[in-house]
Amino acid sequence: MTLSRERAQDVFYGVLGIVLFLAAWEYIGQNQLAGLTWPPLTTVIAYLTDPDRRPLFLRATSATFSMVGLGYLLGALLGALVAGLAHLVQPMREGLGRLSSVINAVPSIALAPLFIVLLSQEWTGMAIATLNVYFVIFVAAGSGLNAASTAHHDLFTTFGSNRFLRLLQLELPAALPALVSGLKYAVPASFIGAIIGEWFGSSRGLGLLMVSSMQNFQIPLLWSAVVIAAAGSLSAFGLMGLIERFVYGRFR
Amino acid sequence: MTSLINVLRTGISRYWGVILVLGIWQLWVSVTGVNAIVMPRPLDVLRDLVGNPSVYLHNGGQTLGLAVAGLAAGMALGTLIAAVAWFSRLLSGMLVPLAMIFSSIPVVALIPVIARILGYNLTTVFAIIVIISFFPAFVFTSAGLRALPRGSEDLFHVLGANKMSKFLHLVLPAAVPNWMIALRLAAPSAILSAMVAEFLMGQSGLGYLFRQSAGDFDTERAFGTSVVATMISVISFTLSLQAERRVSARWR
Repeated sequence: MTLSRERAQDVFYGVLGIVLFLAAWEYIGQNQLAGLTWPPLTTVIAYLTDPDRRPLFLRATSATFSMVGLGYLLGALLGALVAGLAHLVQPMREGLGRLSSVINAVPSIALAPLFIVLLSQEWTGMAIATLNVYFVIFVAAGSGLNAASTAHHDLFTTFGSNRFLRLLQLELPAALPALVSGLKYAVPASFIGAIIGEWFGSSRGLGLLMVSSMQNFQIPLLWSAVVIAAAGSLSAFGLMGLIERFVYGRFR
Repeated sequence: MTSLINVLRTGISRYWGVILVLGIWQLWVSVTGVNAIVMPRPLDVLRDLVGNPSVYLHNGGQTLGLAVAGLAAGMALGTLIAAVAWFSRLLSGMLVPLAMIFSSIPVVALIPVIARILGYNLTTVFAIIVIISFFPAFVFTSAGLRALPRGSEDLFHVLGANKMSKFLHLVLPAAVPNWMIALRLAAPSAILSAMVAEFLMGQSGLGYLFRQSAGDFDTERAFGTSVVATMISVISFTLSLQAERRVSARWR
């Protein structure tokens, strides 16, 4: 694979930007330009990779990531199903859309106590992640299902296809690109939901580490938890970006 | 009389989902008889909202004011840096990947870190909203600065325009529709992050009011806070959506 000159230059500048950012992080930390609460990058990495703390981080990370994953799956499923329902049953469309946007507008910190009552503290993060993902997928799938062109619809009508066949063979494939983009943008939403949920007294997870280390002035621990969450979201986002590229090449 | 029925009919066709959820909630609380401390009735929440307007107005106004000011500052900063990056290929090559990284990680999770660095006060809440509004503004404006109408660049070239006049008369106007998308995306998250920040460390505002009333087991007040926050969020989303539609209808 050969890169064009311009493309190679872009990649070089991008890497340069990231390296400069990390160097600035290290420099500010080393010289304590932002006070004691900004640790150098190397300190955070040393803290993160210390074998003694591995069980702590493993426990928190697996708790949070499983909540993120479950919430993501549930939310995606729910969003796609409700979008399909709204698409098929015309009279319900407006009401479902309004309900979804009202639920999305309820601030997560206000939903958390509700879920603590309805479910439990352990599942609150997952529930908020589900709702966050649900809205992104509902919007993406809804606009995707309307993406098939009128010409294609006319063709299907001419051949006497029924509603179900049209959904399966025309509208669903046409909805895929928007759906996959939605899945990509739902990744950070899912992480935010799970972490905010854990701020409300979960007994484990990265969100718990963040809040307790913020209050107890354990700066490297605080930054480490944030770095793990950011890295997780970034890799999932990157993976969805690759899938998105494939789907766009195949279905558009 | 007929107009009243019409209003009622459109209202129900749009909001039947919301009404249904509220109805089920009221019914569930009445039938199971859960203690009002755990879960208040919708009607009691409404009574508290109507009975104590000054508390809600004062705190809601503060949160809204902070969110709007932070949003404006964040959007201005994002636009400014996107414009500077447009003039320099090196700078944009360095900044765009960083901005992409930051828009794919859960920025809300950075709130504990920023709070620890800047201290627990209103300036920090403001800074958090600025940071969170900055990324969508930068990403979408930079994309818009590159999405020029086909052929327009040749015209400017033929007419011998210099880079500055090309920027002012072609590139900047071309970015306006994208800028409106950024505003629509950033507005609800500005309000959400204002509330989360106030919840974690504020001494006033909706987020603080929520934490305080939830801590005092004043659940009606806590749910009333959520209702006010939801209304602010819905209104800001609707306004920015309308502004976006109006602008893109005029611009395209």
